[in-house]
Amino acid sequence: MTFAGVDLVFNTLTFVAFFAIVLLLHSLPLAWNTRKVNLLLASYVFYAAWNPPFILLLWISTVVDWYAAQGLVHAKKPAARKAWMLLSVVANLGMLLYFKYGTFLLENFTVLMASFGVDYHAPKFDIVLPVGISFYTFATMSYTLDVYLRRAQPARNFLDYALFVTFFPHLVAGPIMRPTELVPQFEVPRRMNLRQLCFGLGLMTLGLFNKVVLADTFLAGAAERVYDRGQAPGMLDAWLGTLAFSGQIFCDFAGYSTTAIGAALCLGFAMPDNFRFPYAAIGFSDFWRRWHITLSSWLRDYLYIPLGGNRHGPARTYFALMGTMLLGGLWHGAAWTFVVWGGLHGSYLMAERKLRERFLSVELGPLGLLAVGLLTYLLVNLTWVFFRAKDFPIAWQVLRGMTGFNGGAKPMLSTIFIVSVSCIVTLLVSTHWYMRERTLESVLARVPPVVVGLLWGFMGFAIVISQGRGNAFIYFQF
Amino acid sequence: MPSSTSSSRSGSARLTAADRPGIAQPVPERDVPARPWPRMLLAALLLATALTGGWEWYWRDFGAVPGYRDDDALWARQRRRIDAGEGDATVLLGASRTFFDIQLPVWEKLSGRRPIQLGLDGTSPLFALEDLANDPEFQGRLIVGVAPDVFFTGFEYMGTVGPYWRKESPSQRVGKWLSMHFVEPYLAFYDPDFALFTVLRRQPWPERPGRPNGMDVRKLSVTEADRNNYLWRKLEIDRDYRDMARSVWAQDFHPTPPTPKERAESQRVLDQQISRAATAITRLRARGVPVLFVRDPSDGDYLAFENRDFPRKSTWDLLLKRTGVPGIHFEDYPELRTGYDLPEWSHMTRLSAERYTAELYRIIEHEQALPGGKRW
Repeated sequence: MTFAGVDLVFNTLTFVAFFAIVLLLHSLPLAWNTRKVNLLLASYVFYAAWNPPFILLLWISTVVDWYAAQGLVHAKKPAARKAWMLLSVVANLGMLLYFKYGTFLLENFTVLMASFGVDYHAPKFDIVLPVGISFYTFATMSYTLDVYLRRAQPARNFLDYALFVTFFPHLVAGPIMRPTELVPQFEVPRRMNLRQLCFGLGLMTLGLFNKVVLADTFLAGAAERVYDRGQAPGMLDAWLGTLAFSGQIFCDFAGYSTTAIGAALCLGFAMPDNFRFPYAAIGFSDFWRRWHITLSSWLRDYLYIPLGGNRHGPARTYFALMGTMLLGGLWHGAAWTFVVWGGLHGSYLMAERKLRERFLSVELGPLGLLAVGLLTYLLVNLTWVFFRAKDFPIAWQVLRGMTGFNGGAKPMLSTIFIVSVSCIVTLLVSTHWYMRERTLESVLARVPPVVVGLLWGFMGFAIVISQGRGNAFIYFQF
Repeated sequence: MPSSTSSSRSGSARLTAADRPGIAQPVPERDVPARPWPRMLLAALLLATALTGGWEWYWRDFGAVPGYRDDDALWARQRRRIDAGEGDATVLLGASRTFFDIQLPVWEKLSGRRPIQLGLDGTSPLFALEDLANDPEFQGRLIVGVAPDVFFTGFEYMGTVGPYWRKESPSQRVGKWLSMHFVEPYLAFYDPDFALFTVLRRQPWPERPGRPNGMDVRKLSVTEADRNNYLWRKLEIDRDYRDMARSVWAQDFHPTPPTPKERAESQRVLDQQISRAATAITRLRARGVPVLFVRDPSDGDYLAFENRDFPRKSTWDLLLKRTGVPGIHFEDYPELRTGYDLPEWSHMTRLSAERYTAELYRIIEHEQALPGGKRW
């Protein structure tokens, strides 16, 4: 853990001080509305601590969707309802397009013009990506879309709604909350209790251990050496670098989600699971039920199903599947490498669907399931190459290494990296398999308290002595 | 909040949004297992505190003392002083020798004013020179330390400082303030050299064929709140540690001469560095800012390496000639050349640095006197 790190993220001393003040304020015997106002103001401070002007975007997103939902409810004609819904979608996607994809679109337009022989020079833009914009625009859009689709009623008061959008544990990197998950929790007074506080702190310790110790301290270095040094890796280095990244991205993002869930629980609120031991997935539809659940379910509900889902024949299903995964890839970043990452996952899902139709009657035994699970993990690792590589030449370079085509490559990783990546990734994947059908809570209920206390203390100690650099969570850039 | 009411799929895992397509998602369930939570938390806190105390004791026993962490934020705090009313101060730029060898209290005692220390370990001062040249708030005096293997190669060990300084967020400033008031003055182990992975990495791991383990630069100094910095006493009293520090430097004393291609590239970089310095200095001088180059002492194999790879004539002399800036080279002054203790050949002990600062200041005031009775 760093004591002076990047922004007001969970792995900094600034957050510890901030959270202590919020906890104190929230535990005071004040009126429920006052405590909600405190949480709202704290959430704005949390966001403004990164870059104060961008708080305006958060307000725009909040206000537009509030009025769009109000308009939807009071609209008499379907066309008017549609117009209010489109206002929300256009405003949110417009912000996202400008800030996240503006430069990317311009660059591609320039290349396209050049291919037609037009010498177009785009003006220089230096657009800063507002942290968390991909997360909170999706959260606010789900509010309007749920009202439009008549799945939910609009919030009864603006404070509850604004707090749903801005609530700091989920604001900048999810889990992507739906209004129906959070708004009802703000409607009735709830008081934090000691058990929730302790368990919440435990979850925060576990999340930070994943991020600070496993991801940043032990895994990030190997991935950086293989992907960022411009050198062609041999087979061992290419695989270890990629396996390290597979562990790093899980520990980083699941670590963030666990910390966020823990922080919310300390305050007496429940947030949904975002990961369910994804490296024990058997097949890709299973993987996407376990990885970044709140995003994959968002894309399913608001993109895949509206695109036709699986109710209009195989061709439409495959189109919807691939379209969803390509856009899901692009959501992660404005680069073609992310599109390829999404495309690969789309292809995997389509292939799996075909295979399931063909081998519907085949029942796999435990070993068969394990084999399919390991094959899934292996293929997921191939997609991580495109996710991690800054551009295609690097991705091809690593893939060539993984397939043994970088003969004579100079060794890149020293023994400490080989040992740490091998041990941690093996332990991580084994843990996922052990936990495949379990929850953390069900295991905690059985383990002797003294063991839990010791592990908890050890994780806290490891976080402190790791002295992380306060690295931003990887998903902040998305 | 509902407790222990999670619905289950076929196994024991609870339902998530993945299991509920196309509907409004309900309030999540977040069970708290029935465990003695307060006692478990207390046990965890006690264990973490005991282990952390043991870790602190271990490093203090090793010779570590609490000091301020010389990171991007600490540098930015000093840089901000220029734009916060101290634009007329004497500013020190350079690499680690400027940082270690010029003692701010001694300078303050002689000049009546404490300089702003912006020297950076293993980092060319050019980015800071250009930054100050572009900052009209800066109207003071500038001393630029020249460590040949850093200045003329453009090496930037702490290259993140510049971007950090320009984009530092409010929470980063608060974080550093909290750290400087509640952590850094009390914990000796809070030092990058004692971080978990750094400690593990320097253990004697078996070497992978074709990939030597190599040695990173170890802790060399202790830094104070305003970046006054001095050599860690362990280098004076622990012979093994001093020898190890020397052998870390020796890794860079290439035994093989550079190829013609490498030599041409080095020359190109050197020319570029001098041109950038000249451009920045022209702007500074146009504002009336006096600038002075200083070549601080080095010793032993390090000095031999510098003389071989960065001969004075084609580096230092060329720099002074092309920039038109005066310079003080330690070899030209007996009082800067002899009687100093540089345990690892590159930096002086604290006592030597104090004497060196006094001698250097005296020479500067004597040879580079400022008009109007102003002092450096």
